[in-house]
Amino acid sequence: MITFRSFLRSLTIFTAAFFLIPPLPALARETGRIFVSNERSHTVWVFSPEFEHIATIETSRRPRDMKLNGDRTLLYVACGDDDVIDIIDVETLEIVDSIPTGPSPEVFEFSPDESLLYVSNEEDSMLEIIDLEARITIHYVPTGAEPEGVITSEDGSTIYVTSEVADMVHVIEAAAGAVIDNIVVGTRPRRFVLTPTTNELWVSAELSSEIYIIDRASNEITEVLSFLPPGFRPEDVTPVGMTLTKDGSRGYISLGRANHIAVIDGISHEIIDYVLVGRRAWSIALTRDEKLAVVANGLSDDITLIDTESLRPIRSIPVGQVPHTIIIDD
Amino acid sequence: MRPALGLILSLWATVAGAQETLKIAVISLNPDPRYDEAMAYARIETNQASDPLTAAELALADMGMLLDTAGLTVELRSITAADLEGVSAAAAQFAVQGGRYLILDLPADEVDAVVSALGPEGPLSINATAAEDWLRRRCHPRLLHTAASDRMTSDALIQHFVKQRWNRVLVLHGKTSRDLARAESFIEAASRFRLRIADQRAFDLSTNPALREQNNIALLTGNLRDYDVVFVADSFGEYSRYLPFQTALPRPVVGATGLVPLEWHWSLERYGAPQVNSRFETRQELVQRMSWQDWSVWIATRAVLTAEAKSRDRGPAAIETFLRSPDLRLDGSKGAQLSFRSWDGQLRQPILLATTNAVIAIAPLEGYLHRTNTLDSLGVDEPEFSCD
Repeated sequence: MITFRSFLRSLTIFTAAFFLIPPLPALARETGRIFVSNERSHTVWVFSPEFEHIATIETSRRPRDMKLNGDRTLLYVACGDDDVIDIIDVETLEIVDSIPTGPSPEVFEFSPDESLLYVSNEEDSMLEIIDLEARITIHYVPTGAEPEGVITSEDGSTIYVTSEVADMVHVIEAAAGAVIDNIVVGTRPRRFVLTPTTNELWVSAELSSEIYIIDRASNEITEVLSFLPPGFRPEDVTPVGMTLTKDGSRGYISLGRANHIAVIDGISHEIIDYVLVGRRAWSIALTRDEKLAVVANGLSDDITLIDTESLRPIRSIPVGQVPHTIIIDD
Repeated sequence: MRPALGLILSLWATVAGAQETLKIAVISLNPDPRYDEAMAYARIETNQASDPLTAAELALADMGMLLDTAGLTVELRSITAADLEGVSAAAAQFAVQGGRYLILDLPADEVDAVVSALGPEGPLSINATAAEDWLRRRCHPRLLHTAASDRMTSDALIQHFVKQRWNRVLVLHGKTSRDLARAESFIEAASRFRLRIADQRAFDLSTNPALREQNNIALLTGNLRDYDVVFVADSFGEYSRYLPFQTALPRPVVGATGLVPLEWHWSLERYGAPQVNSRFETRQELVQRMSWQDWSVWIATRAVLTAEAKSRDRGPAAIETFLRSPDLRLDGSKGAQLSFRSWDGQLRQPILLATTNAVIAIAPLEGYLHRTNTLDSLGVDEPEFSCD
């Protein structure tokens, strides 16, 4: 059971936790709430399952990546300008704690047993490993400049980190806390997803407009995907956020300045469709029933809801300034 | 201020690695007439000298892991000389020693002379700080440019003027050949968008009463029916810094002061720019902001290191072809893919329109289109370009 849970948790950055059904904890309650972090207004907006704006949580400055813990009672928020990860109680919507980090935490991930936090510090080019219980940094792994995306393998043995400036993916052995391999990819690599059935690691390369498909057994690049929604030029396509369905059959990829998301077949990687969203589409999250995809639009300060069956945008909803990450607790 | 260095000083930075050693040098003049300290009255610096070595070292550090992975060792060398003769001798020596890339932090005349002397077999040179349009038209086969040309920065301003409907421009310039060239480039760009030049006037730094039409700001900017904006070309910056708020008509002053078109400005807050700035600042003893010249040296170094580390074919000719191709897709932390134009070796890049503490707009502005790449709406486009 543990393995299965951890396996699922690592599936994607954004959908990581919210489709887990924890078997035990009594407190866990599927609130169905949608959380959106807003980088520039230093807030997390909370929506009801019907997308009514029900609360605005003032966080530390520049909240970006967010993750739910395993039993979905706490929401962790990396706040880049105050060098902390705030912890929000999902029930009461109050900040209950803060974990100090190195300078400018951007993206983070839990170890499968939730004892450790892996945090990319974009200012000092380190992956920081924090002991969650002791609240201390127990190890630093040097990375290329501006590390961003972080993801752990299902069994927790491997951590993958992108370096936006060095154009590479670092493969880190968790036990040794050291880089064991480097994979050179396209320009400004950003985020990851792991595929559930095909043992692939996908990496978005924002400025070369590509998704790199890496075979995790060999760490070799097996395919490079590119996108071109109608009416745009290749250089407008700046992919960042990605998410996969649970079975890995479908992938949703945000195309940044091209103001679209691409929907692709998760196995064959063929493009199914493009969906128009807001300006500079970044993070994408799926509801648990996978009927809705929710996209954060960084430059139009809103989120767009997409019906995944018809692949049509349903509506856009205003949020705070520069929405970064979406987490759905259902 | 430029660190006190001897006639020729070499610093070597080495990245641990394996087989190949790649030699890169950054060449500067010291003193560089463009940052003439005598111009700064009462020790006020109008033009702060840049720190090219720190910028190149930052690029090397940024790319360190990628270079390691590619098995590349880099020797980065800083060469400073007092005059053209010294610079030329050092460049020739670097070429003899098997130097591969020469990053030039030199005025345009010196760039032209050094690159001509090196010839087509020499190291590949990159002009990082000379903006003159004529240097592009010289069409040296082994010269690329990371400094934006005058025409590019002019086009960036013009796009903003058109958007703001500032249609009538008063053009002011100093009497140096540099300022005249800058003004000419601006007028050329303005004419393409049919902006009206209300007048073109030279200013004078003196207080000579016989020249009061040129040194008195009210007179210099007066006796005209109207204009929407004042463009001033003033490479030393001594005259232009007194110009705003004193013009005969209450109009914005842009160009050398006020709103300045630049390759880089420390106040850019998107695209990873703050991280580049802070990495640059922490590498220095004298903490100074990353200037456009620093950025330009940084991106030049990044360009050659990216080409070397990412080219699949390891042959020098293939690496240079990749460096010059649109596939380079260089990241300059300005949110766009950068590459060198095939017709003039110019780096295509966004231009920031900055005040002292804010980036007001980034050109190309929205709505300015181009048939192949919107970045080519800045600068001389392929069909218009010809070598001298």
